Amino acid sequence: MTGSVRIAVATIAFSLFPSKVLPQSAVEMAKSAFGDDVHAAAGLTCTACHASSGGAGTLPTPPRTAIAPLCATCHSDAAYMQRFDPQVRVDQFLQYQTSVHGKRMAAGEERVATCTDCHGAHGIRRVNDARSPVAPLNVTTTCGRCHGDSARMKLFGREATPPGDWSASVHAAALIKRGDASAPTCIACHGSHGATPPGVTSVVNVCAQCHVREAELFRVSPKKEIFDALGEPECLTCHRNHRIEAPQDTWVGLQEGSVCADCHDESGDSGMTIRRVREELDGLSAALSNAEELLTRAERAGMLVDDGRAAFQEAREHRVQSRVLVHAFALAPFSKVTSEGVASARRAQQAGEAAMRELQTRQRGLAVATLLILAFLGTLWLKIRRLPPPSS
Amino acid sequence: MASRLRPWLEERLPLADLVETLRHKTVPHHRYSIWYYFGGMTLFLFAIQVGTGALLLLYYRPSAAEAYESVQFIVTRVPFGWLVRSIHAWSANLMVASAFAHLFSVLFLHAYRRPRELTWVSGVLLLMLTLAFGFTGYLLPWNEVSFFATRVGTDIAATLPVIGRGLVRFLRGGNDVSGATLTRLFGFHVAILPAIATVLVGLHLLLIQRHGISVPPSVERDRGTDPGVVRAIPFLPHFILRDLFAWTAVLAVLAALSTFYPWELGTKADPFAAAPAGIRPEWYFLWAFEALKHMPSTLAGVDGEFVAVAAMSIVGVGAILLPFMARNTRPGRRLVVWIGIVMLVFMSAMTVLALAGSTP
Repeated sequence: MTGSVRIAVATIAFSLFPSKVLPQSAVEMAKSAFGDDVHAAAGLTCTACHASSGGAGTLPTPPRTAIAPLCATCHSDAAYMQRFDPQVRVDQFLQYQTSVHGKRMAAGEERVATCTDCHGAHGIRRVNDARSPVAPLNVTTTCGRCHGDSARMKLFGREATPPGDWSASVHAAALIKRGDASAPTCIACHGSHGATPPGVTSVVNVCAQCHVREAELFRVSPKKEIFDALGEPECLTCHRNHRIEAPQDTWVGLQEGSVCADCHDESGDSGMTIRRVREELDGLSAALSNAEELLTRAERAGMLVDDGRAAFQEAREHRVQSRVLVHAFALAPFSKVTSEGVASARRAQQAGEAAMRELQTRQRGLAVATLLILAFLGTLWLKIRRLPPPSS
Repeated sequence: MASRLRPWLEERLPLADLVETLRHKTVPHHRYSIWYYFGGMTLFLFAIQVGTGALLLLYYRPSAAEAYESVQFIVTRVPFGWLVRSIHAWSANLMVASAFAHLFSVLFLHAYRRPRELTWVSGVLLLMLTLAFGFTGYLLPWNEVSFFATRVGTDIAATLPVIGRGLVRFLRGGNDVSGATLTRLFGFHVAILPAIATVLVGLHLLLIQRHGISVPPSVERDRGTDPGVVRAIPFLPHFILRDLFAWTAVLAVLAALSTFYPWELGTKADPFAAAPAGIRPEWYFLWAFEALKHMPSTLAGVDGEFVAVAAMSIVGVGAILLPFMARNTRPGRRLVVWIGIVMLVFMSAMTVLALAGSTP
């Protein structure tokens, strides 16, 4: 039986027998799982958590409402915890008390999550251990066990989050496909111990943890005030929440399917601005695409176009900046960057054209040289044929 | 002017004697004489190497910090730099191919026999020197592929007992391939190897001049029944014009290859990066590289790689000493032909395997 299965069995056992003495087999399983537990490694034993009551030889399970305070007796004690890790945090219980889970648990609702639901009970590992249920690659599955379960969420008057939403997001791709452990999972936006849905007016603060420049631009843009007044969830209004997809230039515009068209139409200055932004984005992308095609053709023909590649890279960076500047919701700063990007793309294009011209010159030169060489070979051949025959 | 210059030169240099000697010098002409042109072709390609190498030296900088950028500068900024570099790289490869063709033709035509033993020895040493030129020149652009291939190549020397570790340190100028290796291999490539090559080429040509060109035993035998099978053509102008024809054709091939398939520069070497997949040496080392891959880790308790390196060393020494070991009898010559065929098949098969294995 693997460690994770043992943890699962032990967790289920605790759920089935709350506040009761565990049957012998469950105790054996818990003992076995505890052998690979961070607490066991620190020298703690069963009685550290199970010492309060019960007869001789029995191991009473703490009631679910008592688990978080029990964990906090050590994990909120800075002096004690520093013996194991000088930089360890000790605010988890305080945060838990501010979370939806913690508040409901304090009100006696035992079905909400407590420490052991996420970390496991016997066989707890450090968060940075890839086998931990709260390690970056596992945490969405751990949260999804409850939050992806419609029946369970219905009990609390909430909608479940479809498990595939986050998995289809650009954030999941960064974590799973690119192996970027800093990519956001549930806890990056909702918090871990203090898990709470961010309020409508604080969404930008959450996204700003990573998307700093976009958030800066948004905060000083006219949209911030309008969105807050309308109760629109800031960034999520355009980007949605869990299923956050890679943004496309086609989101900008007034055509069907574009994000802007959800609120705007052709009328007024806003319609004109949106059209211009889209045109300039498309113009820059087209210039980049043409330059890329030409540079690739030149490279395949064996030409070195490093200057062109440098200009191309510059143009791509301008495109990244211009896409960020969309969040300023103003034309002037955006146009400045896109026109610089187009100029760079044009330089790349010119370098590609120069390389292709050089290639043609080389090929023409080779054709002339080959003709001369062939003429020389022909002359030689005639000369050899006219030589007197060799003697025996 | 010319009428005055000629007597002036003839008074001071033995030009007339030289022309007279060349006019009287003859070369055998028979059904196998096409193979005689590979020697001259190799020499022609060597001359191209020297010329283009000297031009590259004007801009090349042999340090880890500047080597890659200087080659990039040569191929992008220096007028015709791309052509000079491409011709240097392509002619190096054609020279290796031509040298191998020359060696095997001499082997199969039994031209190593008495009194041409030293001509053979100097030729084999020249072939080894050509390979050394290839190995030392490979790292000089300081690109990713050459960096890791040099690391793999120099690692092989470590399997030699006693001297292995020291030899690797000597070749690398340290424990690993670094800027010191580049400077060191550059020194070998442009100074030490050319000096040795000049002496050996001189000796090789002198010996050919001294002993003339060999006629294969089978042709000699046929001469008994038909004296017309072996004719002699004057070196000047008959042979030299044919040689010139072959050189010009090679030049045309080189120009076409350099224009349509310019030698790639690749990406700059990063000693701290992981080795990319598919690292392999130049095509002429592929057979040895593949043979090492197929060796078991141990063979009768001895390190497999060491056994392979030892076997290759024995073959190398055997090749040098061949004229002193091979008997000039019909069965003896037949044995040499079979050994040559086995070697050729083995090297070709290993090369094909290596190429097939590295195809993505």
